[in-house]
Amino acid sequence: MAGRDRLSESPGANRGVPDFLGRPGASPYHRLNPLTKATIATVTAIAAVVLGGLLGPILLVSLAVIGPAAVAGVLGRLVRTALLLALPIAISAFLVNLFFFPGGEAVLLRIGPITATAEGLGFAMEILVRILAISGAVTLFYLTTRPADLVVDLERRGVSPRVGFVTNASVQTVPAMVDRAAQITAAQRARGLDTEGSIWRRVRGVVPIVGPVILGSIAEVEERTMALEARGFTRPGRRTLLWSPPDSGIESALRWALVLALVALIILRVTGTWA
Amino acid sequence: MLTRWIAALAAFVIVIVIGMVTIGNFGTGIDPENFFDTQGANSFALIGAIALVVAFLVYAAVEYAQTGGFASIASQFDTRTIVLMPIAVAINIILGATVANALKLPIYLDSIGTILVGALAGPVAGALTGFLSNILWTYVVPPPFQNGPAAAFAIVAVVIGVMAGLAGRGGWLRPRPNRPIGQLGIGAALTVVVILGMAWLAYLGWTSPAFGGEVNFNVEGSEAIFTVLGWLVLLLVAGTVIGLLGFLFLRRDLTAAYVVVAGLATGIVAALVSAPISANVFSGVTGGGTDFLVAALRQAGADIGAATLGQGLISDPIDKITTFFVVYLILAAMARRTKARFPQGDRLIEDGQAGDVEEGEWRGATA
Amino acid sequence: MTLSLEAVGYRYAGATRPSLLEIDLELAEGAVIGLVGASEAGKTTLCLVASGLAPRTVGGQIRGRITLDGEDVDGWPMHRLSERIGIGFQNPATQMSQVAGTVFEEVAFGPMNLGLSRTDVIDRTWEALSSLRIADLAERDPLRLSGGQQQLVAMAGLLAMRPAHLVLDEPTAQLDPAGTRMVAAAINQMAASGASILVAEQKTDLLADIAAEVIVLAKGRVALRGPAADVLADDRLAQLGVAAPAAVTLRRAAATAGASHPRLAEALRG
Repeated sequence: MAGRDRLSESPGANRGVPDFLGRPGASPYHRLNPLTKATIATVTAIAAVVLGGLLGPILLVSLAVIGPAAVAGVLGRLVRTALLLALPIAISAFLVNLFFFPGGEAVLLRIGPITATAEGLGFAMEILVRILAISGAVTLFYLTTRPADLVVDLERRGVSPRVGFVTNASVQTVPAMVDRAAQITAAQRARGLDTEGSIWRRVRGVVPIVGPVILGSIAEVEERTMALEARGFTRPGRRTLLWSPPDSGIESALRWALVLALVALIILRVTGTWA
Repeated sequence: MLTRWIAALAAFVIVIVIGMVTIGNFGTGIDPENFFDTQGANSFALIGAIALVVAFLVYAAVEYAQTGGFASIASQFDTRTIVLMPIAVAINIILGATVANALKLPIYLDSIGTILVGALAGPVAGALTGFLSNILWTYVVPPPFQNGPAAAFAIVAVVIGVMAGLAGRGGWLRPRPNRPIGQLGIGAALTVVVILGMAWLAYLGWTSPAFGGEVNFNVEGSEAIFTVLGWLVLLLVAGTVIGLLGFLFLRRDLTAAYVVVAGLATGIVAALVSAPISANVFSGVTGGGTDFLVAALRQAGADIGAATLGQGLISDPIDKITTFFVVYLILAAMARRTKARFPQGDRLIEDGQAGDVEEGEWRGATA
Repeated sequence: MTLSLEAVGYRYAGATRPSLLEIDLELAEGAVIGLVGASEAGKTTLCLVASGLAPRTVGGQIRGRITLDGEDVDGWPMHRLSERIGIGFQNPATQMSQVAGTVFEEVAFGPMNLGLSRTDVIDRTWEALSSLRIADLAERDPLRLSGGQQQLVAMAGLLAMRPAHLVLDEPTAQLDPAGTRMVAAAINQMAASGASILVAEQKTDLLADIAAEVIVLAKGRVALRGPAADVLADDRLAQLGVAAPAAVTLRRAAATAGASHPRLAEALRG
């Protein structure tokens, strides 16, 4: 009885499972195994850093980010989200490097003692492209993959269920905590807390919110621990998985190929044989 | 049991030495054409990371050889810790995102959860909390909280978790209230000496070659920005000292001194590990308030590696001291009974309060 | 399978005085026992001890004997006990695991932990959902349900473990009136279909219909025990900090006011 068929079944055998679990994705890219999509995102991000320059990351972005995003039908959202993500960094990068690039000589602009140089502009552009590549790759993953799916896939491959639990619970707790903070803010405001005004007042206003949010969450730990243990959480070993994302030999080969390509790229770079 | 730690430490040192000799170098000149140090990674971080993993494996191997199991690691992950970790991760991410995006101060405040778990549960649990926080922060958390660079700094979070765990295990966060003025005075004096000593070392590092390499700031004459920076640092150091003394004497709790030293040590280590990552991967730009500090240092003539290290040595100690204080306050607010059930909880409670006497027919849990 | 507590005492970690002393309790199959008492009398503690969470999860020290069908469970790990005895708590939200996207997965959480075969897990989950009549909630997000619905989901999660006994610690305490009605109906129905339940409640009305036996706790000891009808009508309840059920209160008020019409008295008594 003890689950002989739970892990030796191939991942495609999802019969009997209610159809609202593990619904396949909307596009071929969505339907890729989560580990594959994670590998693509990570390899792209690291490769963008390793390649350097302008041409490399731009090609990389077209191939590994824009292309798949178009296939997946998320191109619009991707561009908006990736830009949003990269914006604070982009602003900083531009300001910092445009004006403060040491050793820049071809002056473009002068504002008082601060000069903008062409070299600085070039450097800033390259940083920007690199950052866009990274944020694009990561956003593509985020838009096409449910975190719970990746967790289930990793658990099938042998990662401890407890790691999976922490990951899933973390993903749920972030918005839950923000909601709680919003509730406490509203309650405190009703009691006269000042949340507008000078920076100092705002910082002071944060404390009566952060305190209850943190302490309230910690106070729940005991109850949650009891509830989990009452449902067999302490049982050692693997647990049954209701379903898992399908995988294929082709995808596995693709993952290995990507990783090996990245390693080769790094070696080539580090040993200086690539200009 | 000491054998395990000694073996792990030995492995750590050996790997670091080998690493530095073969591929490490602290020359931080970055080729402006491709932003990657082609001479072999400026790799204190990389070497440190590998050394940490190797040391951990050695520790686990020795424990397995001694006891046939991994009890000291697995015991850090009881249900209660597992339940706390997502809360800690969320605190890290939410506070860190708020500070980076909204406040633009040159601090992070993204390790409160990591240090809390490290103190309550142990080094490995703290390390894992930090690691997961950074990875999830980049890959899984939706905007506006999502932070692109965070995953690259996961190794820094691991180190912070380990140090917090060791501090907790060493009883550094155990309250020591109502100490006589004499003890408080000695504690205060020692800590002020330590802080000033670190500040002096940092100053020396800024103006002369150190670490066997070149961490050089090319400072000739005094540029205006550098003077301003100098004052800023002085103010921060003074603020820390005053805050510590206030806490120490107002609450008469000697642990305040321990908290500051733990924060300082963790901050310095964190700065050392994160500077090469920031310099090599992001050229000093990660989107938070720290970017302007890096810019100012570069304006003063420092190269990118020295600038990120300088920024780190300013931001990190302040950030980590503040974080350790906040964690200490959180621990103080938690009921004794709540803390006691955590794996290292008994080391966070005042002496003489923990422990139940099993007498007669009363027995504790046997399973 | 009979759950039996013999001369059981319990002391929380770091406490100077025990919270429970000399508790004798026997929960047989199909029996429903109500547990009442003032707050801090030890109701929650007794629930934790009966389910095994004390001292395993909560710490502290225990004395006396706890047996299942005569077998001492002292050395049993918590996950083994969780298959025999399920325990539900007051706060519905903190019983949600936070790792389930749907109610189905939430209820399946327990059986999944037990490592049963996939088919078993699915069957048990549907069975639990149906028995509490919440199968239509299967696709919903557990964190977006009302308190009453969440409490039912939590109970379904316990039922999916197929325990021999159910311990419920004030299941309606944190629910609004609608939620209270929902959960009370579910408990009544479980009792009617022969479940074995130990339910702690301040709202004695809820116990009047389902409990065969009622135990009154005061300061950690058993102060009164007996058939429900007798105990709930006992005059000493008020001193012990327990509010009598509405029917009893009405009857007393009617008697005091001199209304001694036999049929009225008969109706109230029923």
